[in-house]
Amino acid sequence: MSGATRLRAEPVALVAAGAVTPFGTDLDAFWSGLITGSDGISMIERFPVDDLRVGRGGEIKKLRPLPPTRHTGCRATQLLLAAAQDLLARADISAVPERVAVVLGTALGGVEQLERALARGGRPRHAAGALYDSPAHALARRLGARGPVLTVSTACAAGATALGIGADLLRDGAADVVIAGGYDGLCRFVMRGFDALRSLTRERVRPFDRRRSGLLLGEAAALVLMTRDDRKGEPRLGRLLGHASASDGSHIAAPDPSGRGLEFAVRAALDEAAVTPADVDFVSAHGTGTPLNDRIEAEVLRRTLGHRASAIPVNSIKGAFGHSMGAAAALEAIMCLLASREGVVPHTRGLEEPDPACDLDHVVGSPRATRPRISLSTSLGLGGCNAALVLEGGET
Amino acid sequence: MTASLEARSAAAGSANATPPTGTAVEAVAVLTGWGHGIRALPADAARAAAGRAVIPLFRPVLEGERFRRATRECLLGVAAVDALLRESGITRDMIRGSATALIYVTGAGYGASNQAFVVAESLRQARIEGGLTDKRPGSVASSGTLHFPYTAPSAMAGEVAIEFGLTGPYGILIGGAATTIDALWQATRLLAGGRCERALVLAVETFEECAALYARGRWLVRRPLVEAAVCALLVPGALRARYDAPRTPSTLETLARVRAGETLACAPLIALALARDGGAAGSVSVTGEWRGRRAGLHWQ
Repeated sequence: MSGATRLRAEPVALVAAGAVTPFGTDLDAFWSGLITGSDGISMIERFPVDDLRVGRGGEIKKLRPLPPTRHTGCRATQLLLAAAQDLLARADISAVPERVAVVLGTALGGVEQLERALARGGRPRHAAGALYDSPAHALARRLGARGPVLTVSTACAAGATALGIGADLLRDGAADVVIAGGYDGLCRFVMRGFDALRSLTRERVRPFDRRRSGLLLGEAAALVLMTRDDRKGEPRLGRLLGHASASDGSHIAAPDPSGRGLEFAVRAALDEAAVTPADVDFVSAHGTGTPLNDRIEAEVLRRTLGHRASAIPVNSIKGAFGHSMGAAAALEAIMCLLASREGVVPHTRGLEEPDPACDLDHVVGSPRATRPRISLSTSLGLGGCNAALVLEGGET
Repeated sequence: MTASLEARSAAAGSANATPPTGTAVEAVAVLTGWGHGIRALPADAARAAAGRAVIPLFRPVLEGERFRRATRECLLGVAAVDALLRESGITRDMIRGSATALIYVTGAGYGASNQAFVVAESLRQARIEGGLTDKRPGSVASSGTLHFPYTAPSAMAGEVAIEFGLTGPYGILIGGAATTIDALWQATRLLAGGRCERALVLAVETFEECAALYARGRWLVRRPLVEAAVCALLVPGALRARYDAPRTPSTLETLARVRAGETLACAPLIALALARDGGAAGSVSVTGEWRGRRAGLHWQ
């Protein structure tokens, strides 16, 4: 990385969070599902899958009714609005509309609308809805946010990058409140694509397990309300201390075997947060359950955390309801902060026999009672995208 | 340029250097449906379009097996960076590695590949329904393995990163001209924070394959739609950048629209190229609008 002296970034407060996942339509359901080891994987029912090798995934079966609007929007927008409903039940947006920004990560945007737009009778609004930034603008309209509206599409690392950019907007004074996070809905487009790639497992998702054989996809939306960390005494979930992203420059559809992009991101995020491996109490790994990803990620964590790697609890939540793509990193960041608040780290569902090639201190079998203060969250995405977040748990 | 880039990079790369707080636009390469470079732009794009809805760009011919499968958008991204290096006398080695940030922006550059995937999938479904294709789970036909990764916007930036060996800070933003202002702001932040020694802000827009869809969404985009691939190189410099939300377009925004037409995310970078072509060496203000939001970046 650059040899230039870097500036320690100002921490940013993560005040509250909202989520909709296959476990349910709020944050409490998300957390209790993780802690109880629930299975969020099921046969997909919302669209036909009988011609696919794998027709299972983390599908959200039921959403709460949303306030009536002119258009209900696409699935992705509906997920976002549901997550926002949960978020706003926990925190108010206390800023003028022009000072409220929305920054969202997604791998698919509103692509499901493209299928409608191209079908017979497709309407102009379907064509506009197919743009990947349409759901973010729909959310901004619903929230009345009139500040910057950004859509990040670094594939499955997008949720992490969105939180990072949201923090930068606050640090630069470009916004006073940022609603940041990620989302993606399951649709035929992505199921067919991953099915053709043969990335989906016919078995359980087993991150870091010696029997791991691939991933399953899930759908979710996760949002956090971020402010500058200058509201002393007000409750908050935690703080974002640092973030970084990097490219592999290696392969379009596979991670760099050396993991150099992820390593750069981890080191740069720790550097920005001004913390060392000795400070890290917990790692939320990307942990997709694919043979290559998990091995590379474990190697990178061992390199970057050094001798501490074997003493830091590591988990992956993708065994619980699959890989929720653009939502994944945002959910994982929230999980880190909830683990700190609750004093317990969820275990990696599906992990039974840790692969010696992925040797880390995995949280296996049941949740672990520990209260991490500093967490590291790692993410990788198609196209060689990597991102890392450093978070600090705890209310003021 | 190379001397100044090397000098600035050396300063930024010095372990004891205080990170500069300013930035400079070192170079901009412009490829549009009108031709190569700013000089190829007509005085009035609407008049020059003569009623054509889309002014297409060529499909670059790039050597290498890897490019055989790449989409036109990917190739245009590579071609724009290549043009930037060639026109500026910068070698590939100078940008290779983790000291160069890449921020990619597009409003709709993924549309062609997404549409191709959806159409192929529809045809596959039709064949299944017509009994012409095996419906057994796992039968892989047409909309297949190799194409799907290229539907992701990250594939376009990924190809550029692979081709030029870029392993530094990375961002992919989706949106039109206002989003490119966001990308330029991100680049200035990365430079000012010492997180990179140089930053490439790359925008690619293609429209031809989805012309029928754009015809239906005319309220969102104006004509003529002009395909473009533009790359700007930002380096540490003397000018401080201010990021805001102006209500009115800058002179450069208006000029870029008149000269180039609708280029979505490429517009602010074309505006920067126009400013450089006009001899602007000091303060520059670029603005961009997308979906009712205008953003601005002002180097002072």
